[in-house]
Amino acid sequence: MLRLPNVGRALAGAAKSSLAGNTVRTSVRAASNMVEVFVDGKPVEVEPGTTVLQACEKAGIQIPRFCYHERLSVAGNCRMCLVEIEKAPKPVAACAMPVMKGWNILTNSEKTRKAREGVMEFLLANHPLDCPICDQGGECDLQDQSMQFGSDRSRFTEGKRAVEDKNIGPLIKTIMTRCIQCTRCVRFASEIAGVEDLGTTGRGNNLQIGTYVEKMFMSELSGNVIDVCPVGALTSKPYAFTARPWETRKTESIDVLDAVGSNIVVSTRGGEVMRVLPRLNEEVNEEWISDKTRFAYDGLKRQRLTQPLVKDDSGQLTPTTWEDALTRVAGALQSVQGSEVAAIAGGMADAESLVSLKDLLNRLNSESLCTEELFPTAGAGSDLRSNYLLNSRISGIEECDLLLLVGTNPRYEAPLFNARIRKSWLHNELRVAMVGHQVDLSYSYDHLGEATSILKELADGTHPFCQTISAAKRPVIVVGSSALQREDGAAILSTVSTIAQNARASSGVEEGWKVLNVLHRVASQVAALDLGYKAGVDAIRNNPPKVLFLLGADAGCITRADLPQNSLIIYQGHHGDVGAPMADIILPGAAYTEKNATYVNTEGRSQHTRVAVTAPGMAREDWRIIRAVSELAGVTLPYDSLEEVRSRLAEVSPNLVRYDDVEEANYFKQANELSQAVNQDLLTAPLVPPQLSAKDFYMTDSISRASQTMAKCVKAVTEGAAAVEEPSVC
Amino acid sequence: MAAAAVRSIGSTLGKNLREIRLHLCQTSAASKGARDFVEQHYVTLKKSNPDFPILIRECSGVQARVWARYDFGKEQSVAVDNMSADQVASALQTLVQSKP
Repeated sequence: MLRLPNVGRALAGAAKSSLAGNTVRTSVRAASNMVEVFVDGKPVEVEPGTTVLQACEKAGIQIPRFCYHERLSVAGNCRMCLVEIEKAPKPVAACAMPVMKGWNILTNSEKTRKAREGVMEFLLANHPLDCPICDQGGECDLQDQSMQFGSDRSRFTEGKRAVEDKNIGPLIKTIMTRCIQCTRCVRFASEIAGVEDLGTTGRGNNLQIGTYVEKMFMSELSGNVIDVCPVGALTSKPYAFTARPWETRKTESIDVLDAVGSNIVVSTRGGEVMRVLPRLNEEVNEEWISDKTRFAYDGLKRQRLTQPLVKDDSGQLTPTTWEDALTRVAGALQSVQGSEVAAIAGGMADAESLVSLKDLLNRLNSESLCTEELFPTAGAGSDLRSNYLLNSRISGIEECDLLLLVGTNPRYEAPLFNARIRKSWLHNELRVAMVGHQVDLSYSYDHLGEATSILKELADGTHPFCQTISAAKRPVIVVGSSALQREDGAAILSTVSTIAQNARASSGVEEGWKVLNVLHRVASQVAALDLGYKAGVDAIRNNPPKVLFLLGADAGCITRADLPQNSLIIYQGHHGDVGAPMADIILPGAAYTEKNATYVNTEGRSQHTRVAVTAPGMAREDWRIIRAVSELAGVTLPYDSLEEVRSRLAEVSPNLVRYDDVEEANYFKQANELSQAVNQDLLTAPLVPPQLSAKDFYMTDSISRASQTMAKCVKAVTEGAAAVEEPSVC
Repeated sequence: MAAAAVRSIGSTLGKNLREIRLHLCQTSAASKGARDFVEQHYVTLKKSNPDFPILIRECSGVQARVWARYDFGKEQSVAVDNMSADQVASALQTLVQSKP
């Protein structure tokens, strides 16, 4: 979409202002400026420029609509929202018409009802009658509204229009005959996702939605068009013909495949995850989720560890009982002490299991508890939370006027965060600059280069861009966690911290405004650092342990070669991915859909998942496994129930149990002071984040690597949508 | 006084202790002493104990409290709400010197 802030605001301004909790800046108008209108005779005070539809919404009356969507620009082409205005000659489209003083909107008059019935009749004239085999059945706006507002009989005897289906990739199934040309998907793609892949061709009866030439709808947010589509024209390919909405059980949960912590609903039937849908949270993901969040769930059914395994004399992993496995683990732990035992936590470990494991190893007098993801420990390290959080928060991006990205590709590391940046870029004239590899972020930015020397110049104030930074009123700097995992990570953090301090001083922004931000990539990292885990496995490499406990560690940071000959590796986790094959004892754990677990996102927002399905086979909730091990090892952990573990979490770091809340973190000055003391030089190697293009996005962790859908996506991205074979029934 | 206490702690944090956690509220009056302590003495303390974890965990409305973890996971804690920075420092000093 063209970036035309003024036009965009005129179109979308009214629509945005009605959003609850929306932080897009709108000027506060004096109360006397309010316009009084009547909805079915009931007076309502609204701001000038409010549309008829929003005025009705304010009065508590919902107008039927297809094309109107509160997060998209107004199209006004479906005509379903026609309402009568008293004394007006014709009914008006409520979504596009701004109210005038004194109007009386009649939402249920004879004329209004007739207009709706007429529109409905035209829409249904070309809509196929295949509801019984349509995946939208039960959650279809057209179905619901035709029942409520449509006619009870058909007058059409002509044949219906038919449209050829398009192959737009392995995620979205198209049945274009069902399309009612609302153009929500086109607007979503160009406004929210920032890809111009979808558009319309032809006019009138021949109007079609498509990609014009056959190609894949290439966006990391593409799955959202399924939710946006009011009919069954765009549906989920992996979910096709598998379940009906009324037979699934919905569990509100949290996504853990990236560090954003998107709110999701897990739909399950008979102990199987059928699909994942977004859940509204204005502060985090609004109403969107990334394709990995939505479609990687089939990975939860493959490559699972379902029973305890023990390596026998021939080196084969053989199934065993929990008693046997736990006794072996406890025996191994009893024979070691101090740094002879160590643990590595992976990217999807929950706070409950992290604290249990830490307490267990601390009781064995070991301090070697590490996370796979590195974070510079020089300087303040993880002492100060502000040092490793996205302090400005995701929604805070809408308030800033200058954003500097350092060594990150937010589009693939945190797609919803990137969508927020794009939203602010589009509506608030946010200026974005980047130090790091040049990537397509779906919006334009000033590319300052990818050399680390540019950071140095920015910190010294010698770079020409410093003028722009010092002119910014509300600057924000986001550094990617991957940039901090280089050998000169501490130096990068220190330099960025100085840039942030300078920017804050020159902007004169109020005390509470946070400039420095870290964007993490894995869901467990913030909770692990909050609990006092050491970031990075250097401690283990320098001090190889006899017993190594891997808690879902699948990044392969430590291999057998790093450990002494006769060392014992215990792997606890849900997938047989990278970590499990090198283990001597495997304890099957639960995935995020199978446990009540706490995760903290990159902002420091603590959220918890809920049990949607039971863990497969003999797999158990992770903290309970560790609790059982502790009892057998003679160092029983003092908690038995989820509540007790969570009160232990509060003892270690109270913010972990403040669910849905972001606790402010301060002391940037202290952190910067300590980071100045870091004696490290910037390396000359350019800042290149690990995920550069779409093909790097889909398979990043043990769940998405096990997912066939994600594998198809990678194939479709690299070889084209036609390369992916689909069953003929679809 | 506080400076003296911090100086006497010096680089001996790691002798008995394994980890210190300081819980405090970002705004409450009761946590003021704890906040002042962090602002005035944390940097000095960290500089003389660079590898020792001093986890400062801010959370609205919590009681300001110093937690100390010793060998074998034994923990002790002292509430430091309504104390001055000096008193927080001496509370910490007591924890550093005690052995469970």
